[in-house]
Amino acid sequence: MTNLNLKIMRRELCYMWRDRGLRNILMFGPLLGLLLFLAIYNAQNIKDIPTAIVDLDRSSSSREISEKICNAENLKVVTYPTSYQELEGQIQRGEIIVGVVIPENFARDVALHRHTQVLLIIDASNTAYATNASTAVLGVTRTISAEAGIKTLMSKGMDPAQAKDTYLAVDFKEEGWFNPTLNYVYFLVLAMALNFWQQCCTIAASINVIGETGVKSWLQIRAIGFSKFRLFFNKSLIHIMVFMAMIIPVYIIAFGVFKLPLACGFGPMLFFTLLFAIALHSLGTLMSSAANNAMDSTRFGMMVALPSFVLSGYTWPIEAMPGFLQPVVWIFPQTWFFQGFNYLTFKNPGWDFMASYFWALIIIALVCYSLATLITAWMER
Amino acid sequence: MKQLWNIAHYEFLHVLKDPILILIVFIAPLFYASLFGVVYFSAILHDVPLAIVDQDHSALSREIRLAFANDDSFKIIAGIDSYEEMEIGMKNGTLRAGIVIPQDFEQSLYQNHPTQVLAVYDASNLIWGLNSRKFIREVINDFSTQHTAVRLASAGYSPQEIENIMNSVECNVTAWNNPTYSYTNYLFMGLMMMAVHQLGLFGVCLCVTREKERKSWIQYLAASIPTWKIALGKSLPYLIMNFFNYSLILWVSSRFVQVKIEGSVALLIILGLLYVITVTFAGFIISLYSSNSLQATRYLMLLSLPLFMISGYTWPKAYIPEILNYIGVLFPSTWMMLGIRMVSINTAGLQLLWPTLLVLGIFAVLAGYFALNFKKERNQPNKSSLSLNGGVSYPRKTNMLRALRQQIRASKL
Amino acid sequence: MEEQQSVVEVRDLVQKFFLKPVLNGVSLRLSPGECMGIFGLRGSGKTSLLHILAGVDRFTSGTVEVLGCNISKSQRFKQAIGLVTQEPSLFQDLSVLENLDFIAALKNVRQDGIERVTAQLELKDYLRHQVTALDFGLYQRLSLACALLNSPRLLIIDELIKDIDLYSRHLIIKQLKPFLQSGGACICGFSNMEMADIFDQVGWLENGQLEILAPLQAHEKWNNLVNSYKKPGDPEND
Repeated sequence: MTNLNLKIMRRELCYMWRDRGLRNILMFGPLLGLLLFLAIYNAQNIKDIPTAIVDLDRSSSSREISEKICNAENLKVVTYPTSYQELEGQIQRGEIIVGVVIPENFARDVALHRHTQVLLIIDASNTAYATNASTAVLGVTRTISAEAGIKTLMSKGMDPAQAKDTYLAVDFKEEGWFNPTLNYVYFLVLAMALNFWQQCCTIAASINVIGETGVKSWLQIRAIGFSKFRLFFNKSLIHIMVFMAMIIPVYIIAFGVFKLPLACGFGPMLFFTLLFAIALHSLGTLMSSAANNAMDSTRFGMMVALPSFVLSGYTWPIEAMPGFLQPVVWIFPQTWFFQGFNYLTFKNPGWDFMASYFWALIIIALVCYSLATLITAWMER
Repeated sequence: MKQLWNIAHYEFLHVLKDPILILIVFIAPLFYASLFGVVYFSAILHDVPLAIVDQDHSALSREIRLAFANDDSFKIIAGIDSYEEMEIGMKNGTLRAGIVIPQDFEQSLYQNHPTQVLAVYDASNLIWGLNSRKFIREVINDFSTQHTAVRLASAGYSPQEIENIMNSVECNVTAWNNPTYSYTNYLFMGLMMMAVHQLGLFGVCLCVTREKERKSWIQYLAASIPTWKIALGKSLPYLIMNFFNYSLILWVSSRFVQVKIEGSVALLIILGLLYVITVTFAGFIISLYSSNSLQATRYLMLLSLPLFMISGYTWPKAYIPEILNYIGVLFPSTWMMLGIRMVSINTAGLQLLWPTLLVLGIFAVLAGYFALNFKKERNQPNKSSLSLNGGVSYPRKTNMLRALRQQIRASKL
Repeated sequence: MEEQQSVVEVRDLVQKFFLKPVLNGVSLRLSPGECMGIFGLRGSGKTSLLHILAGVDRFTSGTVEVLGCNISKSQRFKQAIGLVTQEPSLFQDLSVLENLDFIAALKNVRQDGIERVTAQLELKDYLRHQVTALDFGLYQRLSLACALLNSPRLLIIDELIKDIDLYSRHLIIKQLKPFLQSGGACICGFSNMEMADIFDQVGWLENGQLEILAPLQAHEKWNNLVNSYKKPGDPEND
């Protein structure tokens, strides 16, 4: 009996192997994805934001300001345009993200305690970039105005200690938890690779039923009266094993070689991934049972798999989505997986909290497999 | 002309008869525009769940709490009074940021003992992380300014004097192009251009493979009709629909999703036309040379993510290794995504956009050339590959129902 | 002069699939008014030969002239040929009339041809039917009708009347006569020797070689072959 099961599994493996497109996708897809995303995020985080300073005053006071900007964390002054127009052009062309304009007569106005303005421009068209730039700029502006204020107070006859006291700001220490260096590699690369992996898996899973019932050899199986449950059970087993075999090298490279954070340890992560692989496979199987042919089934699968990462809230948070959408996104196994993945790799909040994520994947798998069975039975009746 | 029209007409009829194709050509673009539009509708993060662990209970610490409470960016989660509670909240996602004010904070501050408020934020999701960090700094800056103003006032300065002192060097920070730091402006159009790309390809990429699989391609080959008429006729419905969808997406984006779409309309139209022509003809070429529609679709689908990432649309090009940037420029999607941002968000004019237009134009001409000038004779079929094609060879219930319906309809007429 | 009169002129045609020759030096000639049957069993290369003549497939070497036009160089001959394929190749998602209309458009001929061929092949009652729902005999009548739309001078037909209903068969054969009399030529693949009689000559395709025989000779060859497998004492012998 087990011999027969093994035979079905071996046949399925052959089938996947000989389907050249599928073979290429499954063998190279996730790994290539991981390497590509690693390469893209090679820089890890946004430092050295290109900055330009237009110093229209060229005095010692204005140079002081320039120096402060040069020393600011994450800002890197790359050019000193001679006019505002030149700066404008550079920002429009995207060469510069932050522009600083120190007005003419700056030193004179400061000396005379006249109101004077330093203009700081941030190109916000790339918000991720701009958020970083803005944070860096906020740090500098605080010191610049405070120092100017203290000088003014001192010139008004206040003694230096008192003047400093007045400006004695509350000192803050910032800590980014779970990813203290704000590293984009930690945040995005593996998640992107997993996103790619789940797309590849969807392609394979979405021919589970139709790949069998949609071809003429199905007649043989029907004529023999072979148990459909047994056939698909063994097929699915192989699929899920293949899915896991695809992701393990990715995990080894990511966690082992590139030392991406893994707070929960390898075992729970692997188990969680296994449950997701099963849930994903169940979803693909459902598509494949309802579709008319392998092509349609693949397309259905992709209609879910492609936007699912955006919907999962891994990047743009679910809390920021409109209220009516929030419950909807939790229908997809991808949402549970990517949310759970974030908790497991960065935070490891403990079993009590994570249990619901594991159970959700199991429930999704059960529901989808049951529906797929019902639909297949109806189609074949 | 009549031949061309006829081919286009029947291809269009085919689209109308295939429910999935209807979905892809007519519904999916609008669906994805609405879906992503809804996802990114709020555009900026606000109400970041924040805990304030006040171990000082002084006037100053209450002032700090008030500063955070008054800011829209944060929502203070009540009932978190210890560092440990905050830690748990940060771990299970109920908190995304926290402020810890140490004991004897006020006292230490005024006695010039070194003391610090701790500001933590969740960096496991960098959208939360980077925004929280920025918001915290903004609140702190405001707080410090106000604090200083209060102190100056108590030292007997008049409001006018205070303003003069504090603004002796005013740092005026302005954000250009996207002043609210909206994520919708930032991401939405890029995602949509990818959707136009992928849906455009999916629609057209079966128009020849389908005929090949059903053997009717031979009717085109055996007729004396020139190739450009076949290519143009078959692509025409998709060209029109893709351009229509492109315009529709722009309209939906600006009208309902409130994405900033400014800049020259003419430039947007030209960009869209070139892009749609390139995509449609590229899809036709894929359709022409792929022997198996399923395989072609699979590879195409997997393209979306790498194409999006490599374009430099989200992660700045300057941070991507040179070699990947060189690969990136080979894809029209890279040019289009960056191009549409330049026009719609940065309101760039022709003098900045001409390289993009030129490159997209070259893509369009190349794609058009290879689509319209294909070789009509077939190559010898490749028999070695196992083909699992899009057709269904074993009758299924739904297929039989459809056939039955058609028969009934035919007999009625 | 004679060169121009022949409708099809094939010299040393070679077609290889992955180095395996399917057609290995085939030569043939067809004059106006002639009807040639190409006989071959499954996989003998009939369809390959016919598709090459129709200018659909590329070939490895040799020269093929159809209606005085070298088919590797020009597509002009396609205006005057009609092709019926072995596998159903009409547009599946269209009705009978739509198929006729569309193929007429592809061939760039006027619509009045449709009326003519529907009358000839008695398709009037079925114009609105979907082709997928047609009986096989009707389907073949429609295939022939589509091939005749442009009043071709050469008809290339692959297994047109194999196991179809007798009425359709009669109708199709009836159509071929006036076509040939008006100077048209026809080349037709078949695999059932019973039909050899309707052709003027039979090309016997085997092992990539074509042997031109008279119908009677072909019959004889077939019988000899069948008999050579019968051994005395076999139960088949009865």
